[in-house]
Amino acid sequence: MLDFIVQILSNPAITLGLIAGIGLVALKKSGSDVIKGMLKTIFGFLILNAGSGVIVNALIPFSTMFTAAFSLSGVVAEDNALVAAVQSVLGLETALIMVGAFLVNILLARVTKWKYIFLTGHMMFSFAGTMAIVLAQMGLRGWAAIVPGALIQGVSMVLFPAIAQPFVRKVTGNDNVAFGFWGSLPIVLSGYIGGKFGDKSKSTEDIHVPKSVDFLRDMSILMGLIMLIVFTVTAIFVPAEVRDSISAGQNIFVFSAIQAFTFAAGILILLQGVRMFLGEIVPAFKGIAEKIVPGAIPALDVPIFYSFAPVAVTVGFLAALVGGLAVTFLSAFLPVVVLPSVIGLFFMGGAAGVFGNTYGGRRGAILSGLILGFSFSLIVALAYPLVDLSSYGISGLWFASTDAIIVVVIMRLFGMLFGLG
Amino acid sequence: MKIITVCGMGMGTSLMLLMDIQAMAKKNGIVLEGEAMDLSTANGVSCDLAVASKEIAGNLNIPGAVIIPITNIIDKKEIESKVLPVLLELNSK
Repeated sequence: MLDFIVQILSNPAITLGLIAGIGLVALKKSGSDVIKGMLKTIFGFLILNAGSGVIVNALIPFSTMFTAAFSLSGVVAEDNALVAAVQSVLGLETALIMVGAFLVNILLARVTKWKYIFLTGHMMFSFAGTMAIVLAQMGLRGWAAIVPGALIQGVSMVLFPAIAQPFVRKVTGNDNVAFGFWGSLPIVLSGYIGGKFGDKSKSTEDIHVPKSVDFLRDMSILMGLIMLIVFTVTAIFVPAEVRDSISAGQNIFVFSAIQAFTFAAGILILLQGVRMFLGEIVPAFKGIAEKIVPGAIPALDVPIFYSFAPVAVTVGFLAALVGGLAVTFLSAFLPVVVLPSVIGLFFMGGAAGVFGNTYGGRRGAILSGLILGFSFSLIVALAYPLVDLSSYGISGLWFASTDAIIVVVIMRLFGMLFGLG
Repeated sequence: MKIITVCGMGMGTSLMLLMDIQAMAKKNGIVLEGEAMDLSTANGVSCDLAVASKEIAGNLNIPGAVIIPITNIIDKKEIESKVLPVLLELNSK
């Protein structure tokens, strides 16, 4: 009987479902709403697992192709896919670190002058998973991982928005919202530095951008196209003698196109799952936080800045793509080849464009995007040796969020000092 | 009445937008069913009202739905002034 209860409670899908349930009960929702919320959370989590399976299966042949073609390993930086892929092993730690971090965040916002409440759900999930992975590599599992993981994440959820706020205020003009996104530091710094070399009076918003580039707003299209290019270019360089063994006799270009689209489709499945469980948990978190912390400032996802300079978003993204590609080509000399990671480059590059435009107009936006794309990919390449994911059967994926990677690097260095991992 | 909110990933900004609109609806005694989603999903659903940032809204094509573009997604006053009249009108139907 005890074993039965332990098995139920240690299943991350059920744990998250219960967390959502507790949150909804605390908000005095009706019985049907509570049951609906719990079930949707559980379904969402299971869909997430299914999506990660699709992604991992598309990346395994790709990694083989890439190594056969270039004798190097290549990775795509994508947190959600990576964290989802370790859930069968570290699911319980991830779920409890996420909730613990939320409680630490509320406590800090309540007692300190930093009133930030971090509400970007997928970022909370990916950071919690990152903590679980890194602590496991340092030999810590169970409560020994959950407690420090939750503390570190909870502090980060207040600290990073606090660091970014002076820059955010410059863009938004007030303190109503904060920046709740694990790329905030490189974005505000790229914007500030890029802007130093620009001219504020020449805004990106006076540039006319043709309507036809608007399709870039659709993540799935953009990701599908970029992955198709990356996979096809790799296929060209795969030596003829190993082609058949990789593609099981199928034409290598047909095979790689299907794998590229399967990867994009896997991301779509995964995001649908994340969306379903966050749709229940985030409103519960928000409701609880608002009751406990008067004057709470919500720290929100990166697109809140896009409306301040929509053209700068496109400019910043394209510049970031160039910066990221530069690292891809340079990384033959680095520990790993960082492939253009569209989601990160798009969302972070776009925001860097907005900050760059605020500080230094057009030239500021372009330079900020370039700096962002370059540093985003370079940090992934340099930090790569610090966390080995092969024991989870994951190849071709690595962490993307720069802020989280900075925390990981500090933790690993600290760990080495004290002989952990 | 079914409303959707849309953003690039369908889980960050759109969810915040949805919560703002739900709070607004509740205050005015309007019952609604809401969901946050990404652009590709949004173009395949049916709903009465879709709300998104201006750039995303330009790519929305949902037959039979009112589409409201929001210029500044964190400006609650703008959201209320654009969305509430439509909610009240749809509710009276």
